[in-house]
Amino acid sequence: MPSLGFGEARHDATFVTRASDHFLRLSRSSIDDTITQNLNALETPARAGFDPASTSRLGPRPLSHQIDAAACSTFKHKVLFPTWQVRSDVLSYCSLVATSPDPDDPERALREAEHEKDRERVVDERLDPYSARFFPREARTEYLASILRQEMGPRNSDTMAPQTLSTREANLFRTVIRYYEDKQYKRGLKAAEQILKRNPKHGDTMSMKALILNAQGKTDEAFALAKDALTIDMKSYICWHVYGILYRTNKNFDEAIKAYKFALKLEPDSHQIQRDLAVLQVQMRDYQGYIQSRFVMLKARPQLRQNWTALAIAYHLDGNLQQAENILNTYEKSVTTTPLRTDFENSEALLYKNTIIAETGDIERALEHLESSCKNCLDRLAVMELRARYLAQLGRKEDAAKAYRALLERNSDHPDYYKCLVDALGIPTDDEAALKAVYDEYAAKNPRCDAAKRLPLDFLSGDLFRTAAKAYLTLMFDKGVPSTFANLKHLYSDAFKKESLPVLAEEYLKEHSGSSGAEGQANGDSSKGEGAALYFLAQHYNYYLSRDLSRATEFVEKAIELDSKNVDFHMTKARIFKHQGEVAKAAEAMDHARLLDTRDRYINSKAAKYQLRNDENEKALTTMGLFTRAETVGGPLADLTDMQCMWFLTEDGEAWQRRGDLGLALKRYHTVFNIFDIWQEDQFDFHSFSLRKGQIRAYIDLVRWEDQLREHPFYFRAALDAVNLYLSMHDKPQNGANGVEGSHANGDDAAERKKAAKKARKEAQKAEREAAEKAAKQDPNKGGAQKSKDAEDAKKKDDDPNGAKLAATTDPLGDAMKFLWHLLQFSPKNIEGQIAGFEVFIRRNKYLLALRCLKAALAINKGHPKVLEQATRLRKALGGDLGSLAPKVKEVIESELASVPGA
Amino acid sequence: MDIRLLRSSDIPLIQHANIENLPENYFLKYYLYHALSWPQLSFVAVDVSRPPKTPYDYPKIVGYVLAKMEEEPADGVQHGHITSLSVMRTHRRLGIAEKLMRQSQLAMVETFGGRYVSLHVRVSNKAAIHLYRDTLGFMTEKTESKYYADGEDAYCMKLDLDFIRDQIREEEEDDDAGEEKKKKKKNKGAEGEEGEDVDEGEAVGDVGRDPAAGSKGDQKIKVKVGRSLGVGELIEKDESKHS
Repeated sequence: MPSLGFGEARHDATFVTRASDHFLRLSRSSIDDTITQNLNALETPARAGFDPASTSRLGPRPLSHQIDAAACSTFKHKVLFPTWQVRSDVLSYCSLVATSPDPDDPERALREAEHEKDRERVVDERLDPYSARFFPREARTEYLASILRQEMGPRNSDTMAPQTLSTREANLFRTVIRYYEDKQYKRGLKAAEQILKRNPKHGDTMSMKALILNAQGKTDEAFALAKDALTIDMKSYICWHVYGILYRTNKNFDEAIKAYKFALKLEPDSHQIQRDLAVLQVQMRDYQGYIQSRFVMLKARPQLRQNWTALAIAYHLDGNLQQAENILNTYEKSVTTTPLRTDFENSEALLYKNTIIAETGDIERALEHLESSCKNCLDRLAVMELRARYLAQLGRKEDAAKAYRALLERNSDHPDYYKCLVDALGIPTDDEAALKAVYDEYAAKNPRCDAAKRLPLDFLSGDLFRTAAKAYLTLMFDKGVPSTFANLKHLYSDAFKKESLPVLAEEYLKEHSGSSGAEGQANGDSSKGEGAALYFLAQHYNYYLSRDLSRATEFVEKAIELDSKNVDFHMTKARIFKHQGEVAKAAEAMDHARLLDTRDRYINSKAAKYQLRNDENEKALTTMGLFTRAETVGGPLADLTDMQCMWFLTEDGEAWQRRGDLGLALKRYHTVFNIFDIWQEDQFDFHSFSLRKGQIRAYIDLVRWEDQLREHPFYFRAALDAVNLYLSMHDKPQNGANGVEGSHANGDDAAERKKAAKKARKEAQKAEREAAEKAAKQDPNKGGAQKSKDAEDAKKKDDDPNGAKLAATTDPLGDAMKFLWHLLQFSPKNIEGQIAGFEVFIRRNKYLLALRCLKAALAINKGHPKVLEQATRLRKALGGDLGSLAPKVKEVIESELASVPGA
Repeated sequence: MDIRLLRSSDIPLIQHANIENLPENYFLKYYLYHALSWPQLSFVAVDVSRPPKTPYDYPKIVGYVLAKMEEEPADGVQHGHITSLSVMRTHRRLGIAEKLMRQSQLAMVETFGGRYVSLHVRVSNKAAIHLYRDTLGFMTEKTESKYYADGEDAYCMKLDLDFIRDQIREEEEDDDAGEEKKKKKKNKGAEGEEGEDVDEGEAVGDVGRDPAAGSKGDQKIKVKVGRSLGVGELIEKDESKHS
């Protein structure tokens, strides 16, 4: 037996774990094989040859074949027991070695370096939680220990599914995971297949292979394999976890949650799976589930503050303020040491608790807590603002005034502070002089402050207004502030102010005619003084409440005469053209303005926008391309899409729609829709990230905003466009799959548009091809890292770049629903959405839903002509169709409709 | 104009202002990363004069500063960094950029104990350089060649923030002169580990400021770094956006 030799090997400083592995394996099989062989030999002495009948005999073997007891005993004592003894000795010796320190380990430095590297490793835990796992190089002692564990454990039967791996293969399995983490998918696949060659039914390996396939973009293949893995090894938590991950990366969160729950049942102690599940639950707003998960996680690791905070968040989001506060209190009480003042997590947790208290409505207690516990919090602004607000809410006016004054010292350009200060001071709203005095104080203190000078114009009237407005305009014109008009136009709801402002501007003009203001003239800046006043007046007459476009033109031309190179002046000229309905001239003028300052992206963006308004999509994209990243594959459009440039996508879609290219129009609207999906998913990482960062208030703010995400006007506009386009497609079905008939196109015009659109599309395709070729040339030889990126790119490849498939829909109303639901859900008070909703529902004969939109629209504006027309149409439609409705529905509709005017 | 702290709901329009004005753009998540890591540091200028058209109008952002703390400062010194700053062309000359910067700088010191703030600016951007150097007092540290995607060089600029620390300390001394004495004794013990000085007052009352910022010397502040924060992915993206 080589066992002793092995023991000495250690002292030779050659730590032969491999040899020990071989020995143990051999010794086991030698024992087992010997037993089998010997027993067989005893049982079936081959005297009479093989009798097939012997296999079907069930009863006890005939006595003549009984094993000789003496032989048995001899074998037992001479062969079997000594072998076992040796084996057991080796095992116990090796265990000792494996558990003792190993100072001579030659790989220690290497291992430490790897650990160090791991600390800097970039991990995308969201996409693959396994990537966060770290399989460091094993110390030889650990390796030995793992061999021993395997050898000492009971041996699994080979015939039983699932298969288990040999030590060598188990190691290979670990490298599969490592390759996956490092995104070396090809190597990972190779290793996985190597394992599967010998163990085709190893569920965990199959699952890992599925995970790799999924990462390579082969989603269907991945799912099929993961399912196979599950049928083979239903009891493997890895299989279930991977299955969940596949669902999650493909955004089927409900199924992912189910799979995680299964995995967790099999492996209740897996922190990893529990965390994955928790994140999904909060993402899906399953707060009850989230509370449960966080509770389990807290029990597992109560020493971590984040786990307490997380449970409090779960209760808070679920609306249970009391419980949320209790959890935070419990943690605080359990801490015996005073946290450092620089402990950011502590500082934020205290402020978080404070906002929870305030949300309960007990402001008195919130203030008390703020003053006693939060005065050292690092977020000074928050402490000051909360305190001021609480004081004001509690009616402690004097203290509130002081608090708001302190805030104004910090930031005198925040109008809210003034408003609150004035409230706290108790100045009557009609005491204009007293009010103004408050603002004057800050205007004097902060010469560069705008708010203190401008805000009084909101409440002053009569001569007080005129004097203040004159002073303000003079200052702004002298300085040449281009936003002067934009900052004052809200005053136009007051007729007197609307009349006074242009008069004051004209007065200024008279006084400064021929000069550009003292300062302006000195440095030849024509945007100051006279130029600024002319610019103001041009904008005044261009504004919808005071519009006189010929006068506007007059003033802007005068301004341009003064300085023909001024971008702002030309920009306003373009706007005036736009209001005259001259879209082509407007686009031209804006492009002229752009050329005056080609380094400024703002004017470049405006020029592109005006080109789109003039239906010049290609030109606009070229203009935008002057500032997009040159190296983005797919050209300017791809960059604008990547960078989520909503305004361009929407305007581009609207222009294509006007040009009759429904495919491209739909494509853009869908792109906007998809970006909102991305925005919604963007919060995913922050469920865990924010806990680590400790910025809980900001996180709560994010979650609440995300809940309302699609009420954003960016969504509303594109979605309404899409719904209306689908409506027109329903009303005027397309000729071909790729029809380009616009909703208001007719005859020759339509044919021409069709031609133009076709040409444009060809050009776009050509440009795209060229861009792709160019990109291919740019990065000809990027190695391994590039390969995984290729896979990513392949995944992103768009199979319908021009929206032909979208336009070929046979169910436009069904497609419209995707956009419509969100419109109605998130912007119910926007009448345009309700009107569009009615149009879709009545075409689908969904009368109750149509009625609901109608009633909502009436609640917003009961005199809206379109809504009244819809009411009539609904009644008419029902006249013909009501018979087919269920009596109950009929009854409801009739009684509801009775209360609708005009119906 | 309203200068105030950034909120998550502002981000779509901040992103809009950014892509309207500047060639260096970011996807929404990168803004979120700032807003959720250092919510105290980023500010916006809002045009509040526009009458709302629907109940769902979002305040129009005409200027913003997007700022962060350096996660792993190479020099080991806590400092802030300006990721992006812009003001709509239509709203220039009101000092908005300066006001945004000052708010952010103050918070860098108060909340995160920042010692300086750094930024990059195009060498051709005269207006911005004027603001940073002449109005705010930044110094040009070095020129980074071909920093921008289009090949333009950047000035790497820095502003020492110790003057804000000093201001805060002075204000504390003025404001808290009376109350401070009573408190001092009580706090001494707790402050021992920070190597305290008599000047290091505890903040008291509504105008109190960050006490940590008021402490003297080169005391190092513990900064959590690396993978444990799980921000690797985002940091990486940041770098790629710059180049």
